[in-house]
Amino acid sequence: MRSLTLHLKVLIAILVTLGILITAYQIFVVGIPITEDETDDLWNIDAKVEFVATPKNPVKVQMFVPPLSQDYVSLNESFISNNYGVSINRVDGNRKVTWSARRVSGNQTLYYRLVLTKRYSGEKPKAKGPIFRDSIAVEGAEKIAAEALMAPIRQHSADIETFISETIKRVNNVNDDNVKLLLAGDPSTTNKAKTIELLLSIAHVPMERVHTIRLVADQPQTPELWLRSFNGTDWLYFSPETGEQGLPADRLVWWTGDENLVSIEGGKKLQVRFSLNNSQMNAIRLAKLTDENTDADFLEYSLYGLPLQTQQTFMIMVMIPIGVLVILVLRNLIGLQTLGTFTPVLIALAFREMQLGYGIALFTIITALGLSLRSYLEHLKLQMLPRLSVVLTFVVVLIATISLLSHKLGLERGLSVALFPMVILTMTIERLSITWEERGGGHAMKVAIGTLFAASLAHLLMTVPELNYFVFTFPAVLLILVGFMLAMGRYRGYRLTELFRFKAFLKD
Amino acid sequence: MFGMIKTWKALQAKGIMGINRRNADYVLKYNKRHLYPIVDDKIITKERAILAGIHVPEMYGIIETEKQIDKLPQIIGDRPDFVIKPAQGAGGDGILVIADRFEDRYRTVSGKIVSHEELEHQISSILTGLYSLGGHRDRALIEYRVTPDQIFKSISYEGVPDIRIIVLMGYPVMAMLRLPTRQSGGKANLHQGAIGVGVDMATGVTLRGTWLNNKISKHPDTTNAVDGVQLPNWDGFMKLAAGCYELCGLGYIGVDMVLDQEKGPLILELNARPGLNIQIANDCGLTHRAHAVEARIAELTAQGVVETPEERVKFAQSLFGNVRKAEI
Repeated sequence: MRSLTLHLKVLIAILVTLGILITAYQIFVVGIPITEDETDDLWNIDAKVEFVATPKNPVKVQMFVPPLSQDYVSLNESFISNNYGVSINRVDGNRKVTWSARRVSGNQTLYYRLVLTKRYSGEKPKAKGPIFRDSIAVEGAEKIAAEALMAPIRQHSADIETFISETIKRVNNVNDDNVKLLLAGDPSTTNKAKTIELLLSIAHVPMERVHTIRLVADQPQTPELWLRSFNGTDWLYFSPETGEQGLPADRLVWWTGDENLVSIEGGKKLQVRFSLNNSQMNAIRLAKLTDENTDADFLEYSLYGLPLQTQQTFMIMVMIPIGVLVILVLRNLIGLQTLGTFTPVLIALAFREMQLGYGIALFTIITALGLSLRSYLEHLKLQMLPRLSVVLTFVVVLIATISLLSHKLGLERGLSVALFPMVILTMTIERLSITWEERGGGHAMKVAIGTLFAASLAHLLMTVPELNYFVFTFPAVLLILVGFMLAMGRYRGYRLTELFRFKAFLKD
Repeated sequence: MFGMIKTWKALQAKGIMGINRRNADYVLKYNKRHLYPIVDDKIITKERAILAGIHVPEMYGIIETEKQIDKLPQIIGDRPDFVIKPAQGAGGDGILVIADRFEDRYRTVSGKIVSHEELEHQISSILTGLYSLGGHRDRALIEYRVTPDQIFKSISYEGVPDIRIIVLMGYPVMAMLRLPTRQSGGKANLHQGAIGVGVDMATGVTLRGTWLNNKISKHPDTTNAVDGVQLPNWDGFMKLAAGCYELCGLGYIGVDMVLDQEKGPLILELNARPGLNIQIANDCGLTHRAHAVEARIAELTAQGVVETPEERVKFAQSLFGNVRKAEI
């Protein structure tokens, strides 16, 4: 007996840990949302390219587009252009789209649209970059100014990271004469970046320009310049204006390098306008979408991998253990008396088709009428099978009549009875009537009310959408339920009703 | 909530057994599933008992098919009284007790007159499984009608009072006299309204009783005191009950016996899931007694000794008997 108890405990422990681990894996590692209502930001980025084509010349527009190798996952990417050939190629970690046309004229508009989200990224590719560069040659006054600036920077820094941020801070101090000389009266970010690059190159520190887009809705913007340098393991990002380190979370790297965003051959008045907006999307739908667009097929082996029709059946099926659990608790812990063991679960399923209040009403009416028919049949002294058949037929006729009546009265709900509650109804009537005869009307009423109560509770719990979603998405939860049921299998304590039943013992 | 925890603790201290404990620790542990048919089918129980030399009400005949119903007159013969029972009935349902016959009609114990056709319909219902546990086909059993001993006349209303003894691994642990009332319709089942009266294991003197989960000391119909009645031939009942373990092999059973006016103690049926109200009737919990028996068995097993029914009865009587005296 003791070894059996140990065996059971181990089994329960295994099942519960397994259930928790699988669910935790799904939530924390795979990142499946816990509730259905959870939404994710979806970014819609439009880049509108406008230019005037030079007549009789072929046109070729080249534009950088995001390399999509970072934390973002693209859901949809489209190039909207009439009569243009589109090709995309990768150059040095950048992606470039080329629109080309033989003969166009007048104002031209090309669109690039990208829909992306931040979730469900795969593993990051290993960062790689240069760690040494040659100095840019400078002469004369510039050389002296640069060297004058270098001395305090070296003094105030400890490593590459602090060296770069110190450099950026110095360059942004426009009151410094040396800086003034190097900037040559042009304090634009581009020029500052150039100066920073010059200073860093003297110390052989490589630097790269990064052009980013800020993920902010409904704000006109142009690509923002950032600088980055490779420290051997990671890329370090710096703002050329403030020297602040680290790329904010809402920046999307569009391209890197010194080149311009767009270039054109055979056109003029080239203009690019970005517009962004964000929308929210149901997280699980989004997960399914990203699943199609990426290699990470983590939903492949979940119930979402099933055809939609089957999914709907399983949506109901995975809830049955929850209903059974309700009956288990009500019967073994509380001591409620119900008709049969799992009849309440079946009735709860029948309620699904009819809605609760209406279901209870219909169930009570049909059962009451069925019972009176059953008691009339009792006088005819029929055998069991023919009697059951008569009751079943009667139930069918009754349901048909009620459906017809409610339809004529304009109550559409009456039509919602499905096929299978009929057998349940018949069996309920039969069992109830036997209970009535054997144990008396009072007991039968008690059992009937107990059954309806258990069924309603099971139904209410089984139709909680959040719970339904949770169990369907994380079926491993059922293992935890099994663990609980196993534990209940050796529960020896009193049932709640027994505390009242044995009350006589305490009246001394 | 706090009151409930207090009730819980108090019941636990008294050793009151709940349904969950009975099922987990006794019924599931000691009663092998494959032995259930022996107790569920009264015909098999009876055959086994006869083989073991245990007294049971005499069986007049068995009806297994609709065709055999025609043989009913031959089975009854010219006996004036008899009982028709479903072999696998539960809770005393479907039992028809015929006390007398006149002309072509029968009179039941409650005075109702039934025709021969109604009798046949009753048997037909039994055969279709109306009263059987799982609703499957059943057999009808026609047997001797027990006439209860005169001793019960004053404390019983109609029907046949019976004696229920809970037997754990052959050791009687608790006994109760079940008295039908007007409410129970002559049936001796407590949940139908019969009275349960505790019985002292050593002496066979009745204690106070229980009726519908309450404690009582008088019969609600006859208003006679139910306690202090000496049951005749008590040691015979105890031995009969203890011997039922060898008969069926089930370790936790309720043995239902009657005291016939002429034939003495007879076994009526065995129950693999005896109810728990016997505890209220005896004002005593089953758990402590069951633990005592289990300890005794463990001790004997270590020594390699197997006790005879007589020894087991003696052990049970010395340990669980003389409740009243021990209290005073």
